Amino acid sequence: MTAYRPPARAWAMLTWTEAKLVARDTAGLVIPLGLPMLIMVMSGLGAEGAGTERFRGLPALDAFVVPMTMVMVVALIGLVNMPAVLATYRRTGVLRRLAVTPAHPLMVLAAQVLASLAQVLAGVLAALLAARLLFGASMPRGALTAVGVFCLVTATMYALGMLVAAVAPSANAAVALGLVGFFLTMALGGGFGPRDNLPDPLATLGEYLPYGAGVEALSAAWTGVPPDLAHIGALAGTAALAGAVAAKAFRWD
Amino acid sequence: MAVVEVEGLRKRYGGTVAVDDVSFTVEHGEIFGIVGPNGAGKTTLVECVEGVRRPDAGRISVLGLDPLRDRARLRQVMGAQLQGGGLPDKLRVGEAVSLYRSFYADGADPGRLLDELGLAGKRDTAFEDLSGGQAQRLSIALALVGRPRVAVLDELTTGLDPRARRGTWELIERIRDTGVTVLLVTHFMPEAERLCDRVAVIDRGRIAALDTPGGLVARAGTGLERATLEDAFLALTGRAPEEEAG
Repeated sequence: MTAYRPPARAWAMLTWTEAKLVARDTAGLVIPLGLPMLIMVMSGLGAEGAGTERFRGLPALDAFVVPMTMVMVVALIGLVNMPAVLATYRRTGVLRRLAVTPAHPLMVLAAQVLASLAQVLAGVLAALLAARLLFGASMPRGALTAVGVFCLVTATMYALGMLVAAVAPSANAAVALGLVGFFLTMALGGGFGPRDNLPDPLATLGEYLPYGAGVEALSAAWTGVPPDLAHIGALAGTAALAGAVAAKAFRWD
Repeated sequence: MAVVEVEGLRKRYGGTVAVDDVSFTVEHGEIFGIVGPNGAGKTTLVECVEGVRRPDAGRISVLGLDPLRDRARLRQVMGAQLQGGGLPDKLRVGEAVSLYRSFYADGADPGRLLDELGLAGKRDTAFEDLSGGQAQRLSIALALVGRPRVAVLDELTTGLDPRARRGTWELIERIRDTGVTVLLVTHFMPEAERLCDRVAVIDRGRIAALDTPGGLVARAGTGLERATLEDAFLALTGRAPEEEAG
């Protein structure tokens, strides 16, 4: 008898199963895709569409609203949906049951991340398409930079989401924690109106929290300038710290 | 041939001794019962056998494998139905069985298995819509889909109505008839009496008695004319099976 690892088929089945479960969770499917889109469309309808000096000739919709929408999609899924699913899996014994099969519970965690990343991708593509078709929004001048920055933002939001999943005792707690984190960083990051309206210390804090830093760095990619290293550093640092704490604190049982 | 060997097993949580110097062997094709009051240490004991808990002392061998060291190989030949093992609400019966089948190199045909368990008509039903008995049968299906040589079933029929319970018992007997060795944890004495070839009575982490159900009844000397295993259990432990261990 030789040591046997679950075949590629098991990974594929798990990921496909998680994807189907994501698609069957109606609220979880619609909100992270629909809400950011709605906010974007409402902002777009009221916007002037003229280029601004602040964004090097681009309208605020292109260089600020679209990046903010993208960050909102990945923040909702990474901070709220994904941790809620994982907390439920722990709470209801899904991970326990897997632990006595050849599939390690880590596999379902990876499958859930992959499936929810597909949802993120769908949400971002839909938002970009809508921005383009409805408002003629431009694509980023630094396309590769935008892709790189978005990957980093995604890693940061998912690391924070893993932290939520690690400490939340139930799905309810995960949603509560995730939403508080989401709204707090979004408010401080300029999601409810310009950050300049905030008191200085809060505005500065918000700029370096994942939401604000993500929007700033993506916005830079849109206008074609290199992102501020401080924003990139803030994102990467948060990802590393949250990921490390989550890995240490995660309970399977 | 001994399929499961446990020798001198000990496990404590902080100051509480959960399993205290337990030894037994389970022979090939046997249905071996582990009975005892709630909190007696039954689940800890089988969790050590399953390799999900590390004992403080003692030796365990399942088909010659060490549950911790040979974890990956053991998983291929052991099926476990555990207390509190759940599934995602929206996962459908057929999907669950096919998914679990994909974890194993060799296994049962998902369709046939569902047929045997009376779940064929429920293939497209979501886990959240199953009755208690159906969920329990699905749980058994998932424990068996890898065609295990040893099945560990923990509180198999808890929450089932009498008809579903009897159906499940017949199923376990059919499984044993195919050569599967069964380790059955229960605090329901009629279940142990009906199914088990031998029964270990666990009380406060130790084996209070180990014998055939008939042997236990005779040995306990309850003085009753038509004593059951439950009477014997009470005489051996001085407590009802549902009572918490102190």
